[in-house]
Amino acid sequence: MEVQYRPIVPGVKRLKLTVIQIVFLVLGRAFQCASQHDEEIRKEIEPWPEGFTLMMKVMPDGPSMGLEKKDNMLLFRGSQLKSANLEIYFRNVESAFMIMTPQMGSPQAFAEKRMSIKGDLGIATVFTRTLVIVMATLYPEIIVKKLVKRVPPLTLKRAGLRVWLYTFGILLGR
Amino acid sequence: MLPSYYEFHNPVKIMSGHKALDNLPSELEMLGAKCPMVITDKGVAGAGLVKIFTQSFDSSGMTIGAIFDDVPPDSSSEVVEKITAIFRKNGCDSLIALGGGSVIDTAKGVNILVTENSDDLLQFSGAEMLKKKMKPLVVIPTTSGTGSEVTVVAVISDIKRNLKMAFSSTRLLPDIALLDPRMTLTLPPKMTAATAMDAMSHAVESFINLQKNPMSDAYALAAIEMIRKNVINAVSDGNDAKVRLAMANASTMAGIAFSNSMVGVVHSLGHAAGGICHIPHGVAMNIFLPFGLEYNMSKCRDNIGRLLLPMAGADVYARTPESRRAEQMIHYLRELRKALNDLCGLPINLKQAGVTEDKLPQIAKAAINDPSIIMNPREMDENDALEILKKAFA
Repeated sequence: MEVQYRPIVPGVKRLKLTVIQIVFLVLGRAFQCASQHDEEIRKEIEPWPEGFTLMMKVMPDGPSMGLEKKDNMLLFRGSQLKSANLEIYFRNVESAFMIMTPQMGSPQAFAEKRMSIKGDLGIATVFTRTLVIVMATLYPEIIVKKLVKRVPPLTLKRAGLRVWLYTFGILLGR
Repeated sequence: MLPSYYEFHNPVKIMSGHKALDNLPSELEMLGAKCPMVITDKGVAGAGLVKIFTQSFDSSGMTIGAIFDDVPPDSSSEVVEKITAIFRKNGCDSLIALGGGSVIDTAKGVNILVTENSDDLLQFSGAEMLKKKMKPLVVIPTTSGTGSEVTVVAVISDIKRNLKMAFSSTRLLPDIALLDPRMTLTLPPKMTAATAMDAMSHAVESFINLQKNPMSDAYALAAIEMIRKNVINAVSDGNDAKVRLAMANASTMAGIAFSNSMVGVVHSLGHAAGGICHIPHGVAMNIFLPFGLEYNMSKCRDNIGRLLLPMAGADVYARTPESRRAEQMIHYLRELRKALNDLCGLPINLKQAGVTEDKLPQIAKAAINDPSIIMNPREMDENDALEILKKAFA
């Protein structure tokens, strides 16, 4: 009997894509909230041009998280942005899942080329620092120290911001 | 230890050795090139290297489309645009960069514009912004340090907009790196030393940072050993073609290493000091390298210790206890710097390089925003950068 060779239609990693979408939502709102209250983040993004847009996206057409600088804050734009001034790509769903869950930090992810950058590398360097601050505010030190090179200090103000984030900040984005 | 995942990419063909230049026309033909444009600078032309280059095309049947020999020491978008117009007007189909870092970066910039059929470099700046296959590019380095002949990066200034554009894409990799000892024979001693220490910094930083991998390690170790064995001779007797060729090979190997594992704080500080105080890049690398290693010691002592073998040789490595190898590596590096300082006056601190102390905070601020900092093993903040700068000052 002749063997039939048919094209193989790939499946969809629905669960992982959903988890990534949820983490993007949490992270995006956390960015919006933290950029209003954390002085260090505000200082970092101050030199960025007004209206600067930034997007994290899972390749090739997975979930995305957009941010826009307005009045020295980072406003969460959900998945509305089709392109941005700075685009940070996750090469595939597995890479994004590892980084977003968070099993791997951004320095290792960049080193292993699981994430790539399209746009100004200097601004990308600053953004990775703000990402570290947001992660250190969101997650306990025991998790963060495995993900970043140096854990930013959990000041009293930042500890308060963490409480605010988990109660109202993520919900309201303020 | 193997990283959990790594990538290594070097499709550049290396042509190295005696009369390597004379093989270029046939290589160009294989690349489908019929009318190459040569990009170089006044220094290279003045040293008679363009004449040697053009002679290698005699009886080859290949026409050189144009020779542009006016690239400034810092590549700029204006020059790139000017060369692009000549390339188009003369119907050229490929590029040859004959020179050092600035010439090579300029050629990469021209290749972006002619390939993308554009006149605005800025829209292609950043990482992985290039989509099309580039025109054939041959690089013939006339210094042994930048490694640009095998790297994915180019830095070009936009003077009108007052910004430095960084380009990073695997598409920027040249097709051929041609190492002919005749091309580096005329390099003055101090520049030979500075460029050699640039190559040394590429190899050393690539070996200790987060993106290191077994392939880049192999190139880095070989490069350090070759530099250690040849740099003093290259500085004291520039006419030794064998030594010059060894240095060219070491530089290329170091370039392959860092193009696949990136660099770290030494380069962050060097780029910042270069931008603010105009210190030549190789000089900055020579100044910052031991301080960068000391700064990273707490995070990668073992890796620094492993560098003692290529840096000092097997005897020293074998008789040094494992716990002392990292410190000894830095000691031998300092000895090498001192020897070069004695031989040709290569500065070993910022004061000698003409930097004033009031500039240090500005350099520290710029250094932490340099993309090379991302792969450094230790997170450097502004205070850390300032501390390193103070140590490196005098």
